[in-house]
Amino acid sequence: MFSAARSLTSFACRTGINHARVAPSVRSLAAFQTADKHTLVLVRHGESTWNLENKFTGWVDVPLSPKGHEEVVEAGKLIKEAGIVPDCAFTSLQQRAIRTLWHILEQTGLMWIPETKAWQLNERHYGALQGLDKQQTVDKHGKDQVLVWRRSYDIPPPTVDPSSEHHPSNDPRYADQEFPTDWTESLKTTLERVTPYFETNIAPQLKDGKTVIIAAHGNSLRALVKHLDNIGEDVIAELNIPTGTPLVYELDDDMKPIPQEGSFAPLNGRYLGDQDAIRARIEGVKNQTK
Amino acid sequence: MIMMRSLLLLCSLSTAAAFVAPGRHTSLQRSIINSDISQTGSSTELFSHKIVLVRHGESEWNDLNIFTGWADAALNEKGVKEAKQGGQYLKEAGFTFDVAYTSVLKRAIKTLWLVLEEMDLMYIPIINTWRLNERHYGGLQGLNKQETVDKHGKDQVLIWRRSYDIPPPECDESSEYYPGNDPRYANVDKADLPFTESLKITGERFMPVWENEIVPDIKAGKKILIAAHGNTLRALVKHLDGISEDEICGLNIPTGVPLVYELDDDLNVIPNENAIAPLRGLYLGNLEDVRARIEGVANQTK
Repeated sequence: MFSAARSLTSFACRTGINHARVAPSVRSLAAFQTADKHTLVLVRHGESTWNLENKFTGWVDVPLSPKGHEEVVEAGKLIKEAGIVPDCAFTSLQQRAIRTLWHILEQTGLMWIPETKAWQLNERHYGALQGLDKQQTVDKHGKDQVLVWRRSYDIPPPTVDPSSEHHPSNDPRYADQEFPTDWTESLKTTLERVTPYFETNIAPQLKDGKTVIIAAHGNSLRALVKHLDNIGEDVIAELNIPTGTPLVYELDDDMKPIPQEGSFAPLNGRYLGDQDAIRARIEGVKNQTK
Repeated sequence: MIMMRSLLLLCSLSTAAAFVAPGRHTSLQRSIINSDISQTGSSTELFSHKIVLVRHGESEWNDLNIFTGWADAALNEKGVKEAKQGGQYLKEAGFTFDVAYTSVLKRAIKTLWLVLEEMDLMYIPIINTWRLNERHYGGLQGLNKQETVDKHGKDQVLIWRRSYDIPPPECDESSEYYPGNDPRYANVDKADLPFTESLKITGERFMPVWENEIVPDIKAGKKILIAAHGNTLRALVKHLDGISEDEICGLNIPTGVPLVYELDDDLNVIPNENAIAPLRGLYLGNLEDVRARIEGVANQTK
């Protein structure tokens, strides 16, 4: 029974044992009627304690702030109300995303679905800037330089010191991975590790008819939507994905997004929630370093 | 004495578990082993594996004294506290884990999440399996325990609750409690879905995941945490400690208290000197409180 069951579950969603899949009667009728429509829900983690402190976070494992917890409980409710029922979940190795996912699973009554955690879905690593205050960094290096590090597509911040706590080789959760001594990331290099992971591990689940939810980070989700919606490098660097706001994609069999009414260009995904408030928030993130 | 220590040193230099007879240790070895219950920096690291079991904390239905089984009751406030406390004990004792196993029922999953959060280990893989579910209570699921006693008599209910191999009456196929009607079991072989279970049956459907998934992980050196339920953990400790059918039925595993088993390379239990018989594993926490709580569950139906 085990080997047969294993062969049913593809690699990415494999927990080895849990084969839970939602019965057709529970899916939203629209989603089930169109056999070639695949639902992908993206959620950027809620506000973290360091968002509040205005620090470069990257791979630092900060928790959600109280507001962040509330945001993502709300996200779970919105997903439930929309009748979306994920079959499996993906997230990063960082607690602010994992906790976001857990809140959503609790709200939707789906705590039992298989969840896969992958470093490839982590936030962009901020190199030597990790842990530093954003405004102080501007005061030190100048607004323009910092803007380049933050919003350039392919210019990474300086590399992190290999002996630093911020180098992944010093964190047990990355013990199975080899990271180069000179480690830092740009949005470009982030995309280079997000996209293959999506293609190899997540796309097969979607093609298999599963509804997938990904709880991740600003830059890993930027990388993903750039890939899905074929967004240009200049545009993606400026694109803000609001925290704790479910972003729903309907993909065809080739994983191309199906345009939806109510989406905000350049995305083909549709946000759930108060559309005016969301639009305002999309403008908001730009103001963190002036 | 000195010869014995040299022998132990030799053991640590080679991988010769052959020097240590499986399941048998001298009192010197036991005192060395037991002097350090943490996993890290322990002299026992090289020839023992530690696994931790946690029974989920109190659920909303424990409070209401309802037969729960596979019904998906949530933890109540006390259960949440218990789980967090369990996580704190594990953190203080220096434990870490590589992978966690739990059921598909939220009270165990939530317990696991709370423990991992306390320990800063939210990033480890979690494996959910129906085989770690609580014993299915058949047609009694959803019924109040005292009312059931009033209806069927104390003795009959005691048999259903505490017999090793007599299951409660089956639930109806149309019932919400029949797992075939629950989407989370949609991919489980229909033949494996119970209408009711005894402790014996629970053990029989649990053992495949122990043998095929958990044991290989332990042997591969992974540090395992299992967050599960009263009856699945009974099945596991019965297997580990060789407890009899009669004795296992009366055994109460208190909620939220981490239970640490140390196993040798052949996965035989290395008994802990502070274990509460008939278990050979060690509860973390105040042992007097734990002992009192072990007595407490017996009083739920009188």
